Amino acid sequence: MRPFLDMQFGDRIITLMAALVLVLQIAVVAQRWIVTHIRIFAIQSFLLAMIAATIAWFNHAPHIYIAAALTLVVKVILVPIIFERLVVRMDIREEIKPIINVPLSVVISGGLTLLGYVVAESFYKQNEPGLGHNELAVAISLFLIGFFTMINRRKALTQVLALLSLENGLFLAAISLTYGMPLIVELGILFDVLVAAMVLGILVYRIRETFESIDVSRLRRLRG
Amino acid sequence: MISGLFLSGIIVWLAGAMASLALWRKPVAARRAACAAALAGSLLDLSASAFAIFSSSPTVIGLPFGNPVFSWAVRIDPLSAYFNVTLGVLATAVSLYSFGYLREMEGRRNLGAFGFFFNLLLMSLALVFTASNVFFFLVAWEVMALSAFCLVIFEHEKEEARNAGVLFLVMSHAGTGLLLIAFLLLTSVSGSLDFLSFHLLASSLSPLEQGAVFLLFLCGFGVKAGLVPVHIWLPEAHPVAPSNVSALMSGIVIKTGIYGMARVFFDFYGAPPIWMGTVVLALGVVSALLGVLYALMEHDLKRLLAWHSIENIGIILMGFGAALMFRALGQPNLAALALIAGLYHTFNHATFKGLLFLGAGSVVHSTHTRNMEKMGGLIRRMPVTAICFLVGAVAISGLPPLNGFVSEWLTYQALLAGFGTTQSLTRLMFPIAGSLLALTAALAAACFVKAFAIPFLALPRSEQAADAREASPSMRAGMAMLAVGCVALGLGATWLVRVFDPITQQTLGVSASSAMVTARGLALTPGTAHGGTISTVGMALLFLFAGAAFALPLAIRWRRRSVKAPAWDCGLPGLTADNEYTATAFSKPLRLIFSALYRPRREIEAEYEVSPYYPSAIRFESEIEPTFEKHLYEPLRQRIMAAAKRMRAIQAGSINAYLAYIFITLILLLLFGVRG
Repeated sequence: MRPFLDMQFGDRIITLMAALVLVLQIAVVAQRWIVTHIRIFAIQSFLLAMIAATIAWFNHAPHIYIAAALTLVVKVILVPIIFERLVVRMDIREEIKPIINVPLSVVISGGLTLLGYVVAESFYKQNEPGLGHNELAVAISLFLIGFFTMINRRKALTQVLALLSLENGLFLAAISLTYGMPLIVELGILFDVLVAAMVLGILVYRIRETFESIDVSRLRRLRG
Repeated sequence: MISGLFLSGIIVWLAGAMASLALWRKPVAARRAACAAALAGSLLDLSASAFAIFSSSPTVIGLPFGNPVFSWAVRIDPLSAYFNVTLGVLATAVSLYSFGYLREMEGRRNLGAFGFFFNLLLMSLALVFTASNVFFFLVAWEVMALSAFCLVIFEHEKEEARNAGVLFLVMSHAGTGLLLIAFLLLTSVSGSLDFLSFHLLASSLSPLEQGAVFLLFLCGFGVKAGLVPVHIWLPEAHPVAPSNVSALMSGIVIKTGIYGMARVFFDFYGAPPIWMGTVVLALGVVSALLGVLYALMEHDLKRLLAWHSIENIGIILMGFGAALMFRALGQPNLAALALIAGLYHTFNHATFKGLLFLGAGSVVHSTHTRNMEKMGGLIRRMPVTAICFLVGAVAISGLPPLNGFVSEWLTYQALLAGFGTTQSLTRLMFPIAGSLLALTAALAAACFVKAFAIPFLALPRSEQAADAREASPSMRAGMAMLAVGCVALGLGATWLVRVFDPITQQTLGVSASSAMVTARGLALTPGTAHGGTISTVGMALLFLFAGAAFALPLAIRWRRRSVKAPAWDCGLPGLTADNEYTATAFSKPLRLIFSALYRPRREIEAEYEVSPYYPSAIRFESEIEPTFEKHLYEPLRQRIMAAAKRMRAIQAGSINAYLAYIFITLILLLLFGVRG
């Protein structure tokens, strides 16, 4: 049982999972199917919950378990179910055409990851113990790539999903830097995400009813 | 006790607002609830502030919520209490008046909403005058602006009212923006939001910062006060509001700007450089003169009164400007005199302008027009309204022995004493301002001859005027209360100047009243070397005796032999209202004298059948050029619209583009942060 008490070992596991999260984020950029997008988001959120649990285990911070459990319930189970139902109900399967094509998007994502590392480096002090710049860099990259995905997609639904993975980046940054925010903040954010997902789900439905499409470029018509 | 009274006043207003909103489906109940709460709250506020003005230490009340940074706290010091007394007196009369005035609107308009905003306005005014920190002050300031806006557009089906409301809102918010910057500049130095920490703070800034803060405050508060050239909303917004609201707007809402300036100039600044006083004095002179000149050309009774508000704000600021200059020149006693003149005029203006607007409200209420040319002969149909209006007109014209005279006289005395205080060229400002004040007062008197004579005397000029009916008892009571106030503030001048001692002590460190009262409390003197002496009580007695001596023989003869005969008619019998002297004709000489300013344009078209010497109909049209709108605001508006048009290129209408804007900004900021 010794490795499971070793901080170094925990750090490596967390870094590994964070790297996986980042890879999944880039995978989102590289594919077109909406259902796949939802599943990738679920897996990503699952990894995030595991990261939170690992941090809780190695740092003896039991309240992070609650955050991990909530992430599991909301982002791994509830949100994907809501979205998959929406997809079925509206019969949309494919993001037709990203604004920037896939190969270029992946290259840009790589560049954004680089930017994430550069930015994180400036926060990182050489001799500081504990979780470090890898997690922060991944978190910033997640945020930037999520943002880029929002810009790059036309369907309102994929934009919402991108927003949620952007939020995952924030969550990762928060728990890796502070070992968990105060629980009340955590609860607030998760509740927020759930409400946002439901509201946006309704909104997406409404947009389709009005414009007979969930292509947000149709919203251009609203311009005065 | 003071805090108890003040808080219960606030609570009563708040309860009145909620109650009238809740009762909006029952107009009678809503009207009664709103007016009763407004009246009770005003009386509570009045008594609280009347005690507070003489209390030895400021009353501090912390409301039981908020946090250390944004605290909800009020501090009632003498200056706050003085403005609250003004509010209390005016609001009491206006609330009384509203009982009758609003009755006509029952069932036709949403009186619940009216009562809500009316009480909210009164409450926010009391809080503006007493808020003790920047945060609370600005909150109260905005609540005041928004409730005033909602009352201005109360008759929102009229396009005129909507446009005026929007103009008011835009200018008011621009002014608040300037105030916010100025307050933040001060906060960054003091490290606190509390007004106490700003005391004399501005004088420790660098001259450049001092000037910037001063100008920001002057513009920000100037917008609310209606100072030229940021006055243009005032003659639009005041007339279109219901008349009881107009009375509050002109009487007290614009005074919040005056309060802000008094607070900043005399509390935050220790010894300001002399140019600040000169700027305030000059703007005061310009406002006073332009206000009265435009009022003269106005034939809309309420717009005329609105222009006079600008004039009176100018007179108040002449007092303030002179006080600032005296302070810079090291003359605290003269500064106290000038400050007293300004503050006294503030109170006086609230009473007589409130009275005049209520009177105009009664007239408009029963004739259904604001155009003076369609009134006439109302003194027979509405005698009480006419007498009250006359009292207000005499007071605003600065005629003894009423209150307008006392404060304008004090302003003169301060200005006249100023010439000897310095050897620099600045001293020329004093006699110039004094003579222009004299011109202003004379023109105001001319204007009120018109404003009283055209609507109230002679024959009715229209059917509405002929059918006019006297105002209801509560309306008459509200007007009578303010009329009595005008007389009391004039006759009681020597007793009232004592009220200012705590204020001048607080701001300038001197008490002036003992030097200003002579002849066993019967006469007023400025306490300067060559100042005059005046006794309003004496003058009143003199007028009374002279009037009696003149009237007695007449009355005796009247009883013996009275002959009724037609008016002199040049030999053409059957004079009608068409032969009357009109307001346009009355102001014609002044339109010619000041044509360089007015740039009048007139158009006469005559229709004739046989020869132009025998016209069958004549159409006459005359208008004057709105100088500020045309030369200052119109170019500004065009620039803003042009800039907005260019900015529209950014508004692509695509979410992706908007997101990209944010994203690019974020990336740039990150790169900037990493580099730095």
